[in-house]
Amino acid sequence: MLVICGIIPIPDLPLICGPVKAEAGSLILEGHKIPCSQGTAAMVSAALAVSTYLDNEPPIALLAGDIGSGAGSRLIYNYIIEHVATLKPRVLAMHYCMPDLKLTVNLCEAVKTMPEKPIMLADAASMYAAKAADIAPQFDMFTPDLSEIAFLADPEAIHPAYINKHLFESDCSKIPLLIEQAYRHKGAAKNLLVKGAVDYIVAEGKIIDEIEAPDVPILECIGGTGDTITGMVAAFADAELELHQAAIISAKANRAAGEYAQVTPANSVSVLINALPQVFKDNLCAWSGVCSL
Amino acid sequence: MSFFNRLKSQPKANKTNQKALNSRGRGLIIFQVVEEAIMAEKQLKQANIGCKLVAPPPQLRKGCDLALEIDLIEQPAIERTLKEKVYFVGIFPLQGSAELLNHVKINYYDKYTMVKAGNMKLVFNSESGVIVNTSGGGCPDIPYLNLQMVGKKLNEAPRPREKGFTLCSLMLDRAFEEACALWEGGKK
Repeated sequence: MLVICGIIPIPDLPLICGPVKAEAGSLILEGHKIPCSQGTAAMVSAALAVSTYLDNEPPIALLAGDIGSGAGSRLIYNYIIEHVATLKPRVLAMHYCMPDLKLTVNLCEAVKTMPEKPIMLADAASMYAAKAADIAPQFDMFTPDLSEIAFLADPEAIHPAYINKHLFESDCSKIPLLIEQAYRHKGAAKNLLVKGAVDYIVAEGKIIDEIEAPDVPILECIGGTGDTITGMVAAFADAELELHQAAIISAKANRAAGEYAQVTPANSVSVLINALPQVFKDNLCAWSGVCSL
Repeated sequence: MSFFNRLKSQPKANKTNQKALNSRGRGLIIFQVVEEAIMAEKQLKQANIGCKLVAPPPQLRKGCDLALEIDLIEQPAIERTLKEKVYFVGIFPLQGSAELLNHVKINYYDKYTMVKAGNMKLVFNSESGVIVNTSGGGCPDIPYLNLQMVGKKLNEAPRPREKGFTLCSLMLDRAFEEACALWEGGKK
């Protein structure tokens, strides 16, 4: 089971939890219609595209409305801390939330008591909180972009807005150095997928693959294209792919979806998500070596 | 060390870790005079924003001997609450770089311009000034700001620092500010 936790920008959305389904470009959960926009909705939609294609069970989404006050985020943290042991997810993915250091530590403590520890992914501010609380190595996967890998590499930084400017000004060629620093300062999860012009797949501090084709630079303009990668990684990991393999396939699939959809800077992330089934149909066999479902 | 001494030292270690964790992610509001610090505490508590009065460390001391410790992530919401009510010298993180990142990069894609500020990006139509995308960041106000801003002209869209709550929204505001300047400059 894959559980994805994150906020939705609908102020009055209550805390909801359950399997999601897609309907006319939106997500449906407990009777609530959630538009597939940037953030956790995009992540869940991409994960659902993977699980649907693989005929796997749909992701369980734990969502609450929050437009920045942090109230919905705290509902999510408190619920998952209390229920993670009974939900018993194979993969637990933490996403857009107010970065609360104490609640993140409490979640990791709750996970430690489980006989079978879930695979722990974090992206967005959940990743910021894990790093700022000095518990990044307790996570199995982070999916930072260039500015965020500079944040993970800065031992003192508590948010990407306050990082050493020399680290931030690093160009793409310095990413391997930032990765090395992030591991040295214990700011990285066990595995990383560093998203950018070249996607770096890192396991235990070692770069094991670099994905650079197809090259679709416009993807950087579109809000949510990082969220879709993380959603796919989580769903492929739930389908029992090794994490590094899940990361490689997800990075390739995101790029291919951008190419298939011939994206422009004015597109929304839903265009990319809609292209994913065809991308999987055409490429998954070659990429994964698994050719029959 | 004896077994009992090891047992005794254990809670102390946990306490130290807890203290270290409590100071992570915190910032200080620095004031010129004590009365302003006290007034600011009242305003923030009324707005349900957590804070506590503390003595500022020597390197951050600018005037009075009282500062307000806050959760740094809430910087824009705090600035908005105090605006025009209480004068303060500035907001500073308790650790790490003392300055908010002020690094801006511009990329051009045919008829679109992308402005990157820190971890945030804003894309607008170079001719019409319509915001077509925002991306990056990870705080809970970012998906909401995306919905509020995309599809609106730069001169009609809400400012992220006026609507947002977090440090990510401050970075998006920096990108927004630069985008407005570029678009206005391009029209001349």
